[in-house]
Amino acid sequence: MGAAKQAVHADVGDETDVSVTESAPIKRSSVRKVLPIVEGVVLIAALLAPLVLQDYLTVFATRVIILALFALSFDLVWGYAGIMSFGQALFFGSAGYGVALLARDLDITNILLVLPAGTIIGLTFALLLGGFLLLGRHPSSVIFVSLGTLTGSYAADRLARGWYYLGGQNGIPSISSMTLGGYEFSEGPAFYYLVLGILVVVYLLCRFLVRSQFGLALAGLRENEQRIAFFGYKAQHLKAIIFAIGGAIAGLAGSLYAFHEGFVWPNMVGVVVSTQVVLYVLFGGSGTLIGAVIGAVIVEGVSFWLSDNYRDIWPIILGLLLLLVILFRPLGLISFVLGERERVGSFGATRKEKQNAP
Amino acid sequence: MTNAFVAAFEILSFGAIIVLIVLGLGIIASMMGIFNFAQGEFVLLGAYITYLAYAKGLPIWTGMVAAPFLVGALGFVLEALIIRRFYAAPIVAMLGTYALGLIIRESVRGLIGGFYLTVPEPIGGSIDIGSMHISAWRFTIIVITLLVMVGCYLLLSRTSFGLRMRATLENPSLARASGISTPLMYGATFAFGSALAGLAGALIVPVFSLYADLGIRFLIQGFVAVMVGGVGSFIGPVAGAGVIGTLSAALPWVMAPVVADVLVFVLAIAFIKFRPQGLIAGKGV
Repeated sequence: MGAAKQAVHADVGDETDVSVTESAPIKRSSVRKVLPIVEGVVLIAALLAPLVLQDYLTVFATRVIILALFALSFDLVWGYAGIMSFGQALFFGSAGYGVALLARDLDITNILLVLPAGTIIGLTFALLLGGFLLLGRHPSSVIFVSLGTLTGSYAADRLARGWYYLGGQNGIPSISSMTLGGYEFSEGPAFYYLVLGILVVVYLLCRFLVRSQFGLALAGLRENEQRIAFFGYKAQHLKAIIFAIGGAIAGLAGSLYAFHEGFVWPNMVGVVVSTQVVLYVLFGGSGTLIGAVIGAVIVEGVSFWLSDNYRDIWPIILGLLLLLVILFRPLGLISFVLGERERVGSFGATRKEKQNAP
Repeated sequence: MTNAFVAAFEILSFGAIIVLIVLGLGIIASMMGIFNFAQGEFVLLGAYITYLAYAKGLPIWTGMVAAPFLVGALGFVLEALIIRRFYAAPIVAMLGTYALGLIIRESVRGLIGGFYLTVPEPIGGSIDIGSMHISAWRFTIIVITLLVMVGCYLLLSRTSFGLRMRATLENPSLARASGISTPLMYGATFAFGSALAGLAGALIVPVFSLYADLGIRFLIQGFVAVMVGGVGSFIGPVAGAGVIGTLSAALPWVMAPVVADVLVFVLAIAFIKFRPQGLIAGKGV
């Protein structure tokens, strides 16, 4: 069935390509503009937010931006490569714990040291887990990978809860602030813009990555792994690479989160946070980077807004909405404004134009 | 000697509980190819129904008998409304059942609050063998687990219902061509798996007491057990559950509980990696 669907997609794609290149190049450029507009609007809104919001809301917005960064890492892995990582929090949380230990035991809080350290921790764990789960003589089934990551995350949660050195149930409280030279990043607009800057840089890097040849191969992997393998790509290696990149971004987000919240606790590596990030991306729209960001903002925003009055029933509503999205909008909320063509990207078309131009 | 016996009994009874929980999970995973993330919540519902019966002043037994039927009926309805749409896509099925589980879990949490509610054991006291005392209820759980296991096995291997179920599993289109109503069989299988989860919940609630995260606790262990045992047969997941249950109950006796906890998962995942077909490969009963 997957193959048939794939074939249909390919046909449709070819047809539109042909008709567009032959008859109406102007129409295409007008069709293609939704994604940059959405991205621009989100960026402007994010830039202006601290000017409008009260202080405590800026702190909340900072947390949302960090979670959006985390959502981006999951989106790369699931939305682009089709690897269901139910253990993304493992990288997020282990990096958080790592930088918390650096700050607690070695008194290292320099931003130029802790953020790379967190990224490397995430990368290392992702390489280890991803290498083990994804590589090997026999390709692993999607079910094995998803349950393997889930189990990894759960085991890490249990370990963090039981290990006295990591603070057990309570985690590591009162981590000191990040510093740059003499300046301390405490909660507030400065921290917000720092995080936003990092998000934008990472977003642009990811955008470049998924629109490259590598990203095209990944999208193929998601749609039909066997076919990509037949083309001569090493599908397992591609998966392991993107899994490691995802882990590194999750690690970066985790270290920012640890310093922003000022404490780390076992849930951060566990299943709760792992599934949370799945929610963000499914809501927003997997397979579009901006969808992950929007999903994180919407889920966290609505939950924050509702939590005063409806704290008890919010998770139930969340479950219902999630079910509705999965059943009726598998591409997420972003698919209301974004067409399928734009979601996949425009590799073939641009190359065709270049060939035709001279 | 006494200590060793007590340890053996503890291990056996925990193994039995895991087997009981995995039975339903394994049947759904093997027969339908769906890893049901809501299974833990079906366990929770079974426990909750038992608690309700107790709270209303009815004998606890009535709750325990009603739980599998009510949860099974719910499973049947959910299958017809929602699960049916997920058969082609296992990952989407995971997410969908996760959402279902979230709804059920949070609803129950809303109903019982954040408390740990205790339900007394319907068979209290202990069985004395010489100087050793073992809990009568845990012993009953072991016996019921054995009965349910044998019952399921007979149902799947000896009855025409089981035959049709297995036929639907192995070759849906041929089964349909032979006049078997495959949608009905899928519905029945899912309902049966849910009913087993409800029964498990009803039986274990006196041991673990009722709280909203009761199901989650066993879900991942259950998944790992199913994978270790091997998807595709009835025996596989049961064997896997036996191994995982025994290991996770036995290892804490010889090493630090934290290490044991994590070690079980690491061993299990490593085992599955190098033997993806599981302990017992192949389709059969």
